[in-house]
Amino acid sequence: MFDTTIALSGVSKQYRLRRGWYVTSLKDEMGRLAARLLGHDVEPREDFWALRDVSFSLKRGEVLGLIGMNGAGKSTLLKILSKVTVPTTGSFMTNGRLGSLIEIGAGFHQDLTGRENVFLNGSIMGMPRREVQRKFDQIVAFAEVERFIDTPIKFYSSGMLMRLGFAVAAHTDPDILLIDEILAVGDASFQAKCLNKLAELKEQDKTIILVSHYLTNITEHSTKVLWIDHGTVRMLGDPNAVVDAYLEHVSVDMKTEDSQHEARDSDGDRPISILDVTLADADEQPESRFDREGTAVIDVTYTASRPVPGAIFGVSIVDLHGYGLGGVVTDPDSVKITAPVEQAVLRLTLSPLLFNKGAYTLDVYALDPKTKRHYDLRRRALRLVVDGHRSDSRESTGYIFYPHRWEQLK
Amino acid sequence: MRESILNIVQHWDLISNFARRDIKARYKQTALGLAWSLLQPLSMMVVFTLVFSLFAKVPSDGIPYPVFAYSALIFWTFFSNTISGGTGTMVANATLIRKIYFPRETLLIAVLLAGLLDLGVASLLFAGMLFYYKISLSLAALWVLPLLLLQFMLSFGVISLTSAAHVNFRDMGHALPLVIQLWMFATPVAYPISVIPGWLRPFYLLNPMAPIIDGYRRALVLGATPDLPALGMSMAITAIILGVALPVFRRTARTFADVI
Repeated sequence: MFDTTIALSGVSKQYRLRRGWYVTSLKDEMGRLAARLLGHDVEPREDFWALRDVSFSLKRGEVLGLIGMNGAGKSTLLKILSKVTVPTTGSFMTNGRLGSLIEIGAGFHQDLTGRENVFLNGSIMGMPRREVQRKFDQIVAFAEVERFIDTPIKFYSSGMLMRLGFAVAAHTDPDILLIDEILAVGDASFQAKCLNKLAELKEQDKTIILVSHYLTNITEHSTKVLWIDHGTVRMLGDPNAVVDAYLEHVSVDMKTEDSQHEARDSDGDRPISILDVTLADADEQPESRFDREGTAVIDVTYTASRPVPGAIFGVSIVDLHGYGLGGVVTDPDSVKITAPVEQAVLRLTLSPLLFNKGAYTLDVYALDPKTKRHYDLRRRALRLVVDGHRSDSRESTGYIFYPHRWEQLK
Repeated sequence: MRESILNIVQHWDLISNFARRDIKARYKQTALGLAWSLLQPLSMMVVFTLVFSLFAKVPSDGIPYPVFAYSALIFWTFFSNTISGGTGTMVANATLIRKIYFPRETLLIAVLLAGLLDLGVASLLFAGMLFYYKISLSLAALWVLPLLLLQFMLSFGVISLTSAAHVNFRDMGHALPLVIQLWMFATPVAYPISVIPGWLRPFYLLNPMAPIIDGYRRALVLGATPDLPALGMSMAITAIILGVALPVFRRTARTFADVI
């Protein structure tokens, strides 16, 4: 019991939807009051439950991965955990100092120097002045801003600001740490630094709550995963099991409906149109879930109003953030439109897929390689989900599943 | 109440950092810097001397009018600046409140502390004026300390209420300058209490700032004890305001982040 650092029981959070902007005016409220007193019907305020009946507890050394779609309630949960707001019902307790790498640098003041901001931000995060003094050199060295420490931060680059904010937050020495999408910011060397710090904190038996859309990060770092969906706990437990279930859900939930038909010059010359894109397995059966070493067959149906001999077709694989992971294009010599085509199908076979477990989307396009103008572009034409656990249990991290084997020599 | 005081003691570092930030940020990139703390009461004194003393011939209890006005103005400026600054401080720090937890009272105390610095700077000129008019301080001047404490408590109570209200109703921001102006004319800043007709005086003294401002003037310029019964009334009203304001603030502050 002593080891429990966070415990939530039946935590719910209700928000009141306001029609205007965040601000209500006194007039509005008085009007409602007057209307009620006169016996008129008052339009009921719309309420919205951002979280409903969330319960879990964490011990020292546990790392909880928090996953869910945008708007599922992840941020609300983090706000409650960091005490920025209170739950509407339910109770929660924390045991130990709480630190957060969510809003790094939120307490910075543009007109103050780096030094002044370190002290200000440190105290906002609950560090006594003496502690900041003791750690000051470490913080500045970590942020790599020694030369500019007495310059007002309005002259800092955004990278310097981020490093300084992270440095202060990382030195608060918390028992419980909340991390939100930390790996999505900063340049490569800064990200490496963040990951090192994360590893260091894990070794020190801290309790960590990690929010990320990068599912491989989640399974890599977490000891437990919590999936929230529309404010309720959908699943809590073993990282791989929860992430698998989540992916299953994502593949069903997100159909190709949200595909966007986008042509760069829709009013101008548009000799090629992509009519349809379908995804199937090796047996040509429609399928959107694949084994990581499986075969995906993509059929692109198009029409061409006139000969476009130079055109190329391409398929790009994009992660859920819109970050391009890779793509393939046709060879203009082999796929050549030398005459008008009423309807034709171009087939792309990806085999083996080699993508790690995760959800991906495909952009499909026809392009003029000289001017780089799209004749037609379908963003998020398809959603492709890779489930890595069907064929074997070998683990790999990142986006790419390298074909590999391990051998013990001698 | 006890919890509020505990919060203030425990977060003293944070409060002083907020106060430092407010002061430094206010005067960065200004040419006159801290002199602005002086200019506000000083220019008011000049205007008041012209309008009330020279044109309207308002009595000043036998004190040279500039000293009479300035002795009240420096404390009134402290009051009005902390009320307007304190009311807006939650909204001014909205990004911080939306993102990070810290006891919200600390922002209010910081405004009061930053105001004290301005008061200190403005007092330097007051010392010069006392010297010029050959007015010497007596032991009664020590009354300033309990009066300041009372003003501090009263201001804290008022801004606890108004800042919480401002988070929900931005009307506060529009109403406030008007209220402060009216409040000043209901307080013996430009004129002495002695001009208030006897029948009106009991009502007049319901304004908790009236005996406080009058008290400063008596203690510093006349070398006299403040009007203690009136001050007792002011203390009672302050206690009532605090008794209402602190629980209201504590309860609403928990969800500032949701509505700000």
